[in-house]
Amino acid sequence: MGALRVTADSSTCVTSSLCVYRLAQVFDQDEQGRVVVLDENPPEGLRRELLRAARGCPTGSIRVEEAGEGVGEGVDE
Amino acid sequence: MDSSCPVSYPFPWAPAPDIPEHWRTMRENPLLHVTLPSGDPAVLVTRYKDVRQLFADERLSRNTSRYPASRISANNDLFGDPEIDNDPPRYLEERSVVMRAFSARRIEALRPVVKQITQELMDAMEAGPKPAELMEAYAYPLPILVICHMLGVPPEDRAKFRSLIDGYLSVTRLPDDEVERCRVQYWDYLSELIAAKRAEPGDDLISELIRVSQEEPGKLTPYQLQHWVKTLLIAGYVTTASQIGTSMAVLLHRPEVAEDLKANLELVPSAVEELLRFQIMGTSLGSLRYALEDIELLDGTVIPKGATVMLSVESNMDDDVFEEPLTLDIRRQDNHHMTFGAGIHFCAGAALARMELQEATDGLLRRFPNLRLAVAGEELERPVGGFLAGYARIPVKW
Ligand code: SF4
Repeated sequence: MGALRVTADSSTCVTSSLCVYRLAQVFDQDEQGRVVVLDENPPEGLRRELLRAARGCPTGSIRVEEAGEGVGEGVDE
Repeated sequence: MDSSCPVSYPFPWAPAPDIPEHWRTMRENPLLHVTLPSGDPAVLVTRYKDVRQLFADERLSRNTSRYPASRISANNDLFGDPEIDNDPPRYLEERSVVMRAFSARRIEALRPVVKQITQELMDAMEAGPKPAELMEAYAYPLPILVICHMLGVPPEDRAKFRSLIDGYLSVTRLPDDEVERCRVQYWDYLSELIAAKRAEPGDDLISELIRVSQEEPGKLTPYQLQHWVKTLLIAGYVTTASQIGTSMAVLLHRPEVAEDLKANLELVPSAVEELLRFQIMGTSLGSLRYALEDIELLDGTVIPKGATVMLSVESNMDDDVFEEPLTLDIRRQDNHHMTFGAGIHFCAGAALARMELQEATDGLLRRFPNLRLAVAGEELERPVGGFLAGYARIPVKW
């Protein structure tokens, strides 16, 4: 398994704060309350919670990728 | 249920603090034809995966007070305002101005204030008669005091302020002309409050919104500012109060679960989330939308252009997504319920409501480890009519 890569689209973020409460070591918010990724390559141990954060985002603004391939985004399969 | 013959919506409540019968069975059909309280027709999207997708679908417009959309009730339009555009891009610009006040950091900064308010309310409960009535003693005052704090409503105005909102929302079931009078007075009060904050800004949300709207002109006009303040207030008050009440009723009606939670208070956040999924105070009326085009559901069923559409909060009970959905599981993990909606209209006050619910629940269980319903769950009464239908009274003892 390759390293995880996390990105978030702050332009579609609606400040639900769900990702921040789930994984404060990875997600934060700027002054406007929009998502900021603190750690783009989080440790493997966070995989499960990262996928939950991506699935839980109400606007599908979070992407979790692996070695260039998407392993999860903000939609339910 | 037969999908072609319209059924009345909202569906009847369960007799006890439990999930209503229709919510369990309605997903046989992906689309139910229903009749709203106004008598107007609508369709209800029943399956979670459809609901989740449609919340993000811009072919569904939120401007239901402008289009020839169906009305919820003949004379009750709480949130609609034909002068306000609830669709992107205008909506998103306005919302982004307001949302800075609802970031995780800002909500956490409010937590000690909320804790303090719960302590004071419980002090009064403890000193008062038993059984206590949870709605009046705790569930209603908590969110209203939090909102007053956030908006900077002076302490001396708070009683008047609450009676105006109660009247506006017809919580007390006033006659129509009284309700209308409260609406006008409430709007006028907000104008005065905003004018006062303009003259003398403070450390509160209204002052902040005024400042932002001055710094970035065009993003939020004075009318829009007042509309947002009005909506945040209404949306944040009775919903939170009803959920505090009904979630405690759901919990206390299941003493084994309540015991489990009391013994493991670190589970309060996930319990609150599960009680939000298991919510029995709201309906899907708040999700009303209007189809700008034909829209196909996952199984091929088509929502016709022009239909008034509701995205089902009852999909919280979809066993395609939630394991054993009818079990209240305070340890549930993948709990992406639809109680706050999804997409760009995701409830603006969700993080605030969550935090209040956590503090409300944690506070009660710590202070009153013996807390229980003073009547059978089946005897709890719901108000007649109304937009939200939490319990009118919840007698508790300890
Ligand atoms: S979960 Fe999504 S909408 Fe919510 S704060 Fe994170 S990125 Fe924004």
